[in-house]
Amino acid sequence: MELERISVALRPRTPREAVDLGVVMLRANAWPVWSAWLVFTLPLVAACVSLGLLLNLPWLGIALIWWLKPLFDRVPLYVLSHAVFDHVPRWRETLRGQRQWRWRGTLAALTWRRLDSHRGLRLPLELLEGLPRAQRSARWRVLCKTIGGQTNMLIFGCLQLEIVLFLTMFLFGVLFVPGEFWPDSWRAYAREAIHNVPTTVTLLVSAAVYLAMSVIEPLYVAASFALYLTRRTQLEAWDIDLAFRRIRQRLQSAGRALVLLFACAAGLLYQTHAHAAATEAERVHVEQVFDPSPSQDDAKFAAAAAQVYRDPRFGSTHKHMGWALRKPAEPVQAQRPIGDSLLGNLFAGGLYLLMWLLLAVVLGALLVFVIRHAMRHPVSWKKPRQAALVRVHEMVAAAAMPDDLAGATRAMWQAGQRREALALLYRGSMDQVAAAQNKPLPVDATEADCLRRARALDDTQHSQRVVAIVRTWQHAAYADRFPSDSDIDALLTGWPAQHARQV
Amino acid sequence: MLDTVRQFETPEGIFLRLRSAGALPRAQAWSIDFVIRVLVCWMGMIPLAFLGQAGVGIGMLVMFVLMWFYPVVCEVFFHGQTLGKRAIGLRVVNADGTPVTWVPSMARNLLRVVDMLPGVYGVGLVSTLIDPYGRRLGDIIAGTMVIHTSELPSGNHVPVLAAERPPLDLAADEQAVIVDFAERCAQLTPQRQQELANLLDPLTGQTGEAGARQLVAYANWLIGRP
Repeated sequence: MELERISVALRPRTPREAVDLGVVMLRANAWPVWSAWLVFTLPLVAACVSLGLLLNLPWLGIALIWWLKPLFDRVPLYVLSHAVFDHVPRWRETLRGQRQWRWRGTLAALTWRRLDSHRGLRLPLELLEGLPRAQRSARWRVLCKTIGGQTNMLIFGCLQLEIVLFLTMFLFGVLFVPGEFWPDSWRAYAREAIHNVPTTVTLLVSAAVYLAMSVIEPLYVAASFALYLTRRTQLEAWDIDLAFRRIRQRLQSAGRALVLLFACAAGLLYQTHAHAAATEAERVHVEQVFDPSPSQDDAKFAAAAAQVYRDPRFGSTHKHMGWALRKPAEPVQAQRPIGDSLLGNLFAGGLYLLMWLLLAVVLGALLVFVIRHAMRHPVSWKKPRQAALVRVHEMVAAAAMPDDLAGATRAMWQAGQRREALALLYRGSMDQVAAAQNKPLPVDATEADCLRRARALDDTQHSQRVVAIVRTWQHAAYADRFPSDSDIDALLTGWPAQHARQV
Repeated sequence: MLDTVRQFETPEGIFLRLRSAGALPRAQAWSIDFVIRVLVCWMGMIPLAFLGQAGVGIGMLVMFVLMWFYPVVCEVFFHGQTLGKRAIGLRVVNADGTPVTWVPSMARNLLRVVDMLPGVYGVGLVSTLIDPYGRRLGDIIAGTMVIHTSELPSGNHVPVLAAERPPLDLAADEQAVIVDFAERCAQLTPQRQQELANLLDPLTGQTGEAGARQLVAYANWLIGRP
């Protein structure tokens, strides 16, 4: 298992999220998927449509394209499975890779399993894991256990989307054809067209069907593959595995740091050798990544795996006993409501009146709103709006800072404006700090910034006093806790407060 | 790393993870809503049919309200969920994860006219397939998105064992992984549990079943059990 190489964020997901992950995977690898898809499918589609035209059976081409879907599915799966664990293959590589992949599952899907609604989920199991037959069915039961219903929803949802895309193209085509190109009598045209479909119509409809399929079928494969990855992540806790490996690496590297010092010199000698080994290790094959089976010679592991498959959690039948009514209850006959045309007319008249009343109310309300708004906010075109913070700052800066900070603060404090007094002291002190450090405070400085600045003062006593002022202000501002008069006196003596204001 | 999550950091340093929903779940939710609305219309038409032309008028009003205001009212008053979205486990939120309000909800539902083109939601489908967060044009313009709300299939119960303090200091994400392991070990086979626990033998100093039990004991300590 080479989980470290995975390019998808592993985490527990609901099946519906897994489907969305498929879309993301497809979008990330859009070019490699669709280039390979076009090269692989276009010749086959062209052959199918021309066969239909030659045999004069216009529906045959479309039916054949639809029938060949399981064959086409191999291409997106090849690109996505390699892109997730290894590298993004180019279209040539993808086509070459098709030859190496098993055909047994595809043949089954093209014949007796063509109508299977779990086709997308079977793909990774058949093509990537490649287990022997006996294990495969057990494994299928495990995989399918919780997401079987979601797989059905997925295939029907994709069918729905495909029809939507086809209809979109069809309807847009109809919308954009000018009227004079349409036949005069639709009925006559339809009678004629049923017996002998024009080649252009066959080609256009086939192209629309193929385009819609080209968009949705890779999406279906990607979503199924993401469902498969999510289910395996859930069953085997791949995300925990990855995280545990990282912890292990961290713990071991911490212990290894000392050893590494001694090993450094020796390591230099072996560098070339190690490099060769590393490149060998780099090359992984996607089949190995997905293969859940251990190496064949490890008998102990095989026994353990067999034990796992016997676990009742993995695929077993349950029997539920319960009681049910033999005869369902008779539905109660609903009474027919009695209608009266007079009642209807009255109701309609009332609604009519209501409509005009509503219109009048809405218009009146609109008028009142406009007048009020105009009165409250007279329109001014001159001054552009400023950010709120800058406006507040300007307002605060405009309020003159008194020359005697201590005196002004004390006067306000004694007048009972305690909060304003502390605010003034705080602002004045910060001005002093800014002046002392010769570095203005930024507009958006918070109290924490001020504290940081205060602690950076050279004089410890000054710095302590400023910190005390900021703390006092914070207590007052946020907790409504004011200091005693003696505390205020202590704060107002000395440097920041009793310093002549410097401008 | 490919994922469908849109992550925001709040000013408090908390990461909000919005699991965006794509075309397929949304189409399912819409189909359910569609069926509900058709059923309501149909059930309403039966008594209204006895009122003659007035009944037809009332029926059309009902259809109008269901078409334009059913999603808006559901989204604003029922936590961003219409009935279909609730059934599928989806929710409409503003792009920053806050609950959707009147104006964005009206905008995204009025723009259904564009997404609906040419009558079968073709434009909306293409938009949801192209957009990285699966938004249709209405969502992009209204600044909303549809997210998954259903609970993740991970376990939520750590087996009770005597708590034990990990011998080393672990980072927050490493602690989370160990708790995660303990929560999900009921979903794993004993063999797989031991395999995972063996990876952490530098931490636990034990392998096999003892190692797994040790990790569960650490998880008990980490979640604050005595």
